Amino acid sequence: MSLIEAKAGEGHIEVKNFALSYETIDGSVAAVTDTQIHVEPGEFVSIVGPSGCGKSTLLNAVAGFLKPTAGTVTVDGEEVKGPSAERGMVFQQYSLFPWKTVQENVEFGLKMRGMDRSRRDRAARTLLGLAGLEAFGKHYPDRLSGGMKQRVGIVRALATGPKVLLLDEPFGALDAQTRVIMQQILNNMWQRLKISVLFVTHDIDEAIFLSDRVYCMTARPGSIKAEIPIPLERPRQQSMMMSSEFLALKRGLMSLIREESLKAMGGEISDQGLQGLNIDLHGQSLADVL
Amino acid sequence: MSSSPAHALHPTERETPALAAEPALSAEPAHKPVTVGALAARWFRLNKGRLRATLIGALSLVAFLILWHLLTKYRVVFFVRFTNVPSPLAVYESFTKAMHDPKFLMHVLLSCRRIIFGFSLAALVAVPLGLVMGRFKLIHEVVFPVAEVLRPIPAIAWVPMAIMLWPTNEQSIVFITFLGSFFPILVNTLHGMVLVDPVLVRAARCLGARETSIFREVYFPASLPHIFTGLTVGMGVAWVSLIAAEMISGQYGIGYFTWEAYSLVQYADIALGMIAIGVLGLTSSVLIRSAGRLVMPWGRT
Repeated sequence: MSLIEAKAGEGHIEVKNFALSYETIDGSVAAVTDTQIHVEPGEFVSIVGPSGCGKSTLLNAVAGFLKPTAGTVTVDGEEVKGPSAERGMVFQQYSLFPWKTVQENVEFGLKMRGMDRSRRDRAARTLLGLAGLEAFGKHYPDRLSGGMKQRVGIVRALATGPKVLLLDEPFGALDAQTRVIMQQILNNMWQRLKISVLFVTHDIDEAIFLSDRVYCMTARPGSIKAEIPIPLERPRQQSMMMSSEFLALKRGLMSLIREESLKAMGGEISDQGLQGLNIDLHGQSLADVL
Repeated sequence: MSSSPAHALHPTERETPALAAEPALSAEPAHKPVTVGALAARWFRLNKGRLRATLIGALSLVAFLILWHLLTKYRVVFFVRFTNVPSPLAVYESFTKAMHDPKFLMHVLLSCRRIIFGFSLAALVAVPLGLVMGRFKLIHEVVFPVAEVLRPIPAIAWVPMAIMLWPTNEQSIVFITFLGSFFPILVNTLHGMVLVDPVLVRAARCLGARETSIFREVYFPASLPHIFTGLTVGMGVAWVSLIAAEMISGQYGIGYFTWEAYSLVQYADIALGMIAIGVLGLTSSVLIRSAGRLVMPWGRT
């Protein structure tokens, strides 16, 4: 059953001359300016950047929740005009429907498409099996651990057979161990389904481990600062994260992001200021001060 | 692709830590042969807290009855006068008499009927109105100011107006019961709509849900806990309004019964009427709560 396998050559995301600004009482505030990104069919692309840089804004525009102020967002040449089941989305807060069982959550997209109950049921079971959750179909999301919830979230987004999968810091709320496991699961799923993925994160390790290419964004107003290809071979294993190749990529990306994060924090804190943090104790010892 | 085993996908993950943390998750509890005694001991250990609460609750009720008995037996006058207050035994006596009196049962049934009509009508109007007010700005803008002006008026203050508005006494009492429960239900439903997590709406949208589906599949179930809060509060206010209306303008009904007992100097019946009202109010709120649990199986409680 190639229910969710992507059709070859589908899922080409193209964002051109993109800008998005918000209207406030003080005038318009630019969140993202002059941005070009693209995702080739079957490619895994991440966007990293300091918090507030507009990476989620960009992703939400691709999903169709936000309209660009300038520029275009197209998927397979078709302009994005609003949210659609063609672009599956996974949210940081899981966003499972608490009143639906795990199985009903996964079936939701298929139900919206008008698929009949028995076919829906079969499809959902297959998908849950794929995520190792077949035993939990009848549970309510409330009863699942964070990692399980997010697996349901991913599977639910894949159920309608979208052309692209958009993930907005999907593992941000998970503990470090679960996070690493989830990255491996997502990596394996993608490897198998060959679906185009646009992945937003602030975790550099995660971005390098998962991606074919990483976009690094500048501080607000966000734009693309650099585009870094990740030539690590596939299939990838967690052990790769210790390799010199991986660490070199990580060092490069970290220095890029560090610059932007410092800018985002207000600019007064210079790199030197952080290193030579001096506290004048006026001759007293620290114990006296405390 | 469904043929390949699922575990191939996540070779490193172990389900066990999550399971250990949440024992309720395990589908099958371990079946070991246990003796009846051990089972009973375990049941006792697990339900200790509840047993304790039940026991103390029962004792407290008994103490209340004894205190009531003593206060009335010795006709205590200490700021409050217990001279004419019926004793628990006298009330019990009038209760056994009332159980065989079709008139008393008719009072109770009539009150219940008024509650059912008034409360159901309120729920049928207020819940959908709250839902559409939460969803459509224009309806909210039109209805909200009127609701806000009428809301602070206690249902009892409507009694004279209700008598003028409705041709029969029965209708005006049902109308007052309706008004009493209407606003709590409306306000809570609206509140529930406001609190719907917008991320869930977005999730539904990018799964292909259209406007009506989002309403049915997201907004409505998401608001249900608040709707039921409104129904519980509304039921309480419905009883308050009903009893007041029956005392003022009623013929029949448990509120009328209580007031009439006072006029006829049948003091035991006053307490009997009060207790009946308490029991009826408690029963109806328990009914609503269990209906809530039935409709919302996903809740923790």
